[in-house]
Amino acid sequence: MTVPAFNYLKPDSLAEALDMLATEPGAYPIAGGTNLMVDVRAGKLSPETMIDVGDLDELRGIVVKDSQMTIGGAVTIAELLRHEIIRQRVPVLFAAGKTFANTLIRNRATVGGNLVNAAPCSDTAPALLVLDAEVSLSSSSGTRWIPLTEFLVGAFQTQRRADELLMEVRFPIPPASSRGGFEKMGLRKISCMAKVDVAVMADFDERGACKDARIALGAVAPIPLRAEKAEASLVGTAFIARAPEKPVRCGEQVQDKTIEEAARLAGEAASPRSGSEYKRQVVYGLTRRILTAMATGIRDGEAS
Amino acid sequence: MTERELQIIGRDFPRKDAVARVTGKERYTVDISLPRMLHGRILSSPYAHANILSIDTSMAEAMGVTVITFADVPQKRYNERIITIPPVLHKDHTVLADKVRRMGEAIAAVAAETEELAERAVRAIKVEYEVLPALVDAQEAMKPDAPAIYDTVMFGETEIAIKNNIACTRDIDEGDYETALAQADVTVEGSFKLEKIYHAQMETKSCVCRPEPDGGLTVWPTTQSIHNVRILLGEIFDIPLSKVNVHRVPIGGTFGSSIQMNAPIPICAALALKSGRPVKLTLTREEDAHDHTRYGGTIDIKLAAKSDGTLLGADMKVVADIGVHNIQAYSFLGVSIGWLVSLYKIPNIRYRGTAVYTNKALSCAMQGFGNPQVTFAAESLMDELADKLNIDPIDLRMKNYIGLGDTFWGQGPQVKSVVLSDGVPELMRKGAELIGWSKRITTEARRLTKSNSDRVRRGIGVGRGFHTSSAGAPQPGDVIDFSGAMVKLNIDGSVDVITALMDHGGGTLEALAKIVGEELGVPFDLVNMAPAETCSTVYDCVTHATRGVYAGGGAAYKAAHSLRKEIIETAAKFLNVYPDALDLKLDDEKGQGVVYCRSIPEKQMTLKEIATRCWSESWKTIAAVESYRPTNCPPAYVTVFVEVEVDTWTGVVTTKNVAMGSDCGTVMNPAMAIGQLEGGLSKGAGYALFETNGWDAEGQLLSRGSWMDMKVAGIGEMPSNDGLHMHFADSYEPTGPFGAKGIGEAAMNPVAAAYANAITNAIGIRFYELPITPERILKALEKGGERS
Ligand SMILES: Cc1cc2nc3c(=O)[nH]c(=O)nc-3n(C[C@H](O)[C@H](O)[C@H](O)COP(=O)(O)OP(=O)(O)OC[C@H]3O[C@@H](n4cnc5c(N)ncnc54)[C@H](O)[C@@H]3O)c2cc1C
Repeated sequence: MTVPAFNYLKPDSLAEALDMLATEPGAYPIAGGTNLMVDVRAGKLSPETMIDVGDLDELRGIVVKDSQMTIGGAVTIAELLRHEIIRQRVPVLFAAGKTFANTLIRNRATVGGNLVNAAPCSDTAPALLVLDAEVSLSSSSGTRWIPLTEFLVGAFQTQRRADELLMEVRFPIPPASSRGGFEKMGLRKISCMAKVDVAVMADFDERGACKDARIALGAVAPIPLRAEKAEASLVGTAFIARAPEKPVRCGEQVQDKTIEEAARLAGEAASPRSGSEYKRQVVYGLTRRILTAMATGIRDGEAS
Repeated sequence: MTERELQIIGRDFPRKDAVARVTGKERYTVDISLPRMLHGRILSSPYAHANILSIDTSMAEAMGVTVITFADVPQKRYNERIITIPPVLHKDHTVLADKVRRMGEAIAAVAAETEELAERAVRAIKVEYEVLPALVDAQEAMKPDAPAIYDTVMFGETEIAIKNNIACTRDIDEGDYETALAQADVTVEGSFKLEKIYHAQMETKSCVCRPEPDGGLTVWPTTQSIHNVRILLGEIFDIPLSKVNVHRVPIGGTFGSSIQMNAPIPICAALALKSGRPVKLTLTREEDAHDHTRYGGTIDIKLAAKSDGTLLGADMKVVADIGVHNIQAYSFLGVSIGWLVSLYKIPNIRYRGTAVYTNKALSCAMQGFGNPQVTFAAESLMDELADKLNIDPIDLRMKNYIGLGDTFWGQGPQVKSVVLSDGVPELMRKGAELIGWSKRITTEARRLTKSNSDRVRRGIGVGRGFHTSSAGAPQPGDVIDFSGAMVKLNIDGSVDVITALMDHGGGTLEALAKIVGEELGVPFDLVNMAPAETCSTVYDCVTHATRGVYAGGGAAYKAAHSLRKEIIETAAKFLNVYPDALDLKLDDEKGQGVVYCRSIPEKQMTLKEIATRCWSESWKTIAAVESYRPTNCPPAYVTVFVEVEVDTWTGVVTTKNVAMGSDCGTVMNPAMAIGQLEGGLSKGAGYALFETNGWDAEGQLLSRGSWMDMKVAGIGEMPSNDGLHMHFADSYEPTGPFGAKGIGEAAMNPVAAAYANAITNAIGIRFYELPITPERILKALEKGGERS
C-alpha cells in the first residue's frame, strides 16, 4: 500500500501552529514522522492534514537552569545524546537514548513524538518517569504542566487534547550523589522495540546508604510501571557501598542479597500485568544488571 | 586446467560499478523512466483463501486508467521458474489469479499517468469474495477434509489432480536402511522445525515494459535470468522470441528471490500490451514481503552409526511447506536428501519427501535451496552423536565427510560427480586453531562442572557444509544448467565480454572480467563487461546454485580461450611463424597483451597491433562465442567455528568470535570473497537467532511486511572486527576456470548449525527449532533448572 494524499502545513511560528491546530479538526502534528508515517502507510491512520512542528524554535531547545533541565518537545534523540550535561549527569536518559532504534531514526525521532505516541514500549517514558518529569501542553487558550505519570493514561493514550502541542519536558537534574541506569531487552541489539525496559534512579547519603530509589519498567504493561516494593527494599540499604574492590568481570557475579531481592521484587511487579513468565525473568535479569553496575561502577560487558 | 602463474586473478581491484553504486548513480529498474510511461499498481487480495465472485472495474475505468483482470490476460498456466525440463514441469500460476490463494494475491492491476492515480483507481475496484478457510499449516493442509487450494495443475502438458494439497512427493532409497539400522551400535535422531523466512533483499521486485510497434516487448526487469524471462513472456503472450528483448539491469540483491520470473513482470507486460504504453510496476516492501520466502517445514532425521563413529545409515523425512506455488518443489525434495548424503558418507538411506501447498507466500530458493535447513539438522545430530560416543566433534566429522575422490550427489541423485579438490582438512585445522578449540570444554564436562552456575556462559560450536558449484553433471537430467559468453577484441587491444550472466552484487562479473583478462593478457581495466540483452547474448540459464564464477566464468573462460587461439593463429600469419611457437602474456610495461615467439624475441606483436592490422586490412573482428555445460558440480566447502556468550539472565546470545573458512578453489576477488563470508555469517546468524515469519489463522502475515518485525540481523549483531577470522584453503579445482569454484550459498549453509552447537556447548541444552530466541533459551533453562 502506498501513502494516500494529505495536506501538509508548515507554520512559521508557534502561534500559527496553535491556530492551525485549533481550526483544522482532525489535523495531526508531525515532528520526525517516525510513528505517524509508519501508521499512515500501514493504513492505521489517514489524517487529512499534518502540521509540521519539527522546526518551531519554542520546541527545539535543551535548557539548564537552577538545577532543572527543560527539553523541547521537538528535540531529537540524537540531540539528547550529543548534550554534554545529559551525558554526564542524567545517565538514565542518556542510556535510554543510546538503545533507541538506530542512527537514522534517532536523527528524526523526537522526545515529544515518543511521549505523545505513548507506545507501551517507549524508551524515553520509563527513563523520564524515574526522573520525576513533567510535561507542558499548550493550545491557543493557554499552557498547563502535568506530571508524566498523569500524562500517560494507557497504551497509545494520553491526557493531550487534539488542539494541544507537547511543548516541553522538565525534571530536576539528579544530584551528584545519585546513580542511575537503564537497560533494554529487544530481540536484536540495534533497531528493535523493547520487549522490556528497566530504568533506575537512586540517591545515596554520604555513608552510601540509599535514601531514595525509583525503578520503572517499560513494555510490561500499557504504561510504564513503578516497581514500588523493589524500590522500598533498597531504601536504607548500602548496596553500593559493599561493592567489591576489583572490577567485576563478565561471567562472574556480585553476590549481593539486597540486589537479588530487589531484582526479584521488580520481576514480580512485572509479571501480573504482562502475563508473561519470560518478561518476569528478563526484568529480574536487567534490574540485577543495572543495580550491580551501579554498585561496581562498571557497566555490563565493559569489563570483559 | 593446469595451474599457471596468475597476473590478474587473486588481486583486489576497485569494482567496476563501485563508484556508480556508492554515489547513487547506478540505475536500477525503479530508476528507469521512459517517455509516455505509465505507472502500474496491483490490487492485492485482503484474504488468504477466497473465491472471487465478481469484479467491478467500472469506477476505476471511469478515472481514465487501464485496468486488467483475469479475463484480460492469457489464461495459460505456467511455472515462473523454467529450470526444470518441460515434460516434468509443474505449472500452477497465471498472470492474474482466478482464485485467491494467498494474502496479497494479485487480482487486478491498473496503469495510470501517475502512481497516485493508479493507487486511487486500484482502490476503486470492487471485488466480491467468498472467503474460504485459510490453510497455514502443512500438516493441517494434508488432512482429508482440508479445503483444496488447487483442484488441478499442469504437469508438462497433462492436467493432473491435486489431492490433499500435496504438490508432489519424492521417495529415494539407496542400499538397505533396515539392515544398516540393525547393525548399528548407536542412533541419534531429531525432529527439526524451520521458519519460512523472507529473503529481505534490498531491492523490491520491479519491472519496466515497453510495447513495440511490431507487437513485441522490451523489458527491464528485476531478475536473475534475462533469458528465462524472455522465454516465459514469449510463451505466455504468444510472441516470437525474436520480438521479446529483455535487458540486464543491475540488481539490488536477491538471495534467490528473483530466481524465477517475478510475478509483477507478466502483469507489467499485460498492462503495457493493453495500454499500448510503457509501464513501470514496482512492489512496495509490504507487497514484496507477501510474495516469497525460504522453504519452511519439518525435517526428521535418524542417523545410525557404529561405535567408532562410522555412519551406516540415515532415515530422513521432509515435509516442505511450499506456500501458494510449486516453483521447484520436486527438485527441492531431491536436494534435501542430496545435501545430507553429500555432507557425509551414508551408504544406506531411506528418504520420504512431501511438498505441501498452503495459503502463504510461495517458497523459492533462498541462499542454499534447503541446504541451511538440512545442514542445521545434520550438524546438530553429528554433535549429538559425538557426545554420545565421546568422540571429538571434529574427529567424527573428519571420519565421515565426503572429500577428495568420493562421489558426490549435491543437487540430487542425477547430479553425481567426483570430488577433485578438497580443502576440508585445512579448513578444519585452521578454524580449530583460530577459535581455540583445544581449550573448548566439552558439553558433557561442562554439565559436570560448577562453571554451569555462571550467569554468562561461553560455548564453542562447529558447523561444516558446502554448496555445489552449479548443477552440472556428466549427463542431462531434469535441470537445465549451461552458460554462454561472447568475447571480442577491439582494435586498441581492449575486449568486450558479452554475457547474459547476472551479478547479484557479489562481484560475479568482476570475476569474469579477471578470467577473460587473465586468459588474454588484457589488463583488468581494459576488459569491458558489456551491457546485456537477450537479443544479443547467448543463453545463460540463471545465476543460482553458486554457479556464477564456476559455470558462468567457465563459459567466459571457454570463449576467451577460443579467442586466444584465434589471436595466436592470426599473429602467426602476420609474424610468419607457426602458431605453436607463440605464446601470449600481459606485458606490464606496455600495459598490453603481447603475442611473442619464445625463441625469437623480436617476433612479437601487441594485441593492439594484431587487431588494428586485421581492421586496416579489412579482414575481420577477432571474436568468439561459446556455450558451456559444466560436467561437474564441485563442492564449495565452508567451515564455521562460532564462540558465543549466553546471558542466562536474559537469554541473549552474543557472538564473540567467529573463524570461518572457505574452500572456493582459486580466490578471484579476495576482498569480495571475504565479503561473501561475512554476509553469509550475518544472514546465518539472523536465521539462527532472530528471524521469524509467522501467519495467523486467517493467513495474515504477522509482520505485515514491516522490517521491524522481520528481525533480519543488522550489523550490530556481528562480532567486533577482532573477533572475525576469515580464511581460505589453498585449493585448486581442476575443472574450474583458473581453479575456481563457488562461494556464495556455501557461506551461509553451516552458520545456523554452528550457532546451535555453540549454544548447546554453552548451556547444555539442544534446540531443534529456529530461531533460538532469548525467550526459547530462558524457557529451556527454566525447564532444565539450570538458570543461575
Ligand atoms: C525503525 C524504527 C525504530 C524505532 N525504534 C524505537 C525505539 O527503539 N524506541 C522507541 O521508543 N521508539 C522507537 N520507534 C518509534 C518512534 O521512532 C518514536 O516513538 C519517536 O520518538 C516518535 O517521534 P517522532 O518525532 O518521529 O513522532 P511523529 O511520528 O512525528 O509523531 C508521533 C505522534 O506524536 C504526535 N506529535 C509529535 N510531536 C508532537 C508534539 N510536539 N505535540 C503534540 N503531538 C505531537 C503526532 O501527531 C503523532 O501522533 C521506532 C520507529 C521506527 C520507525
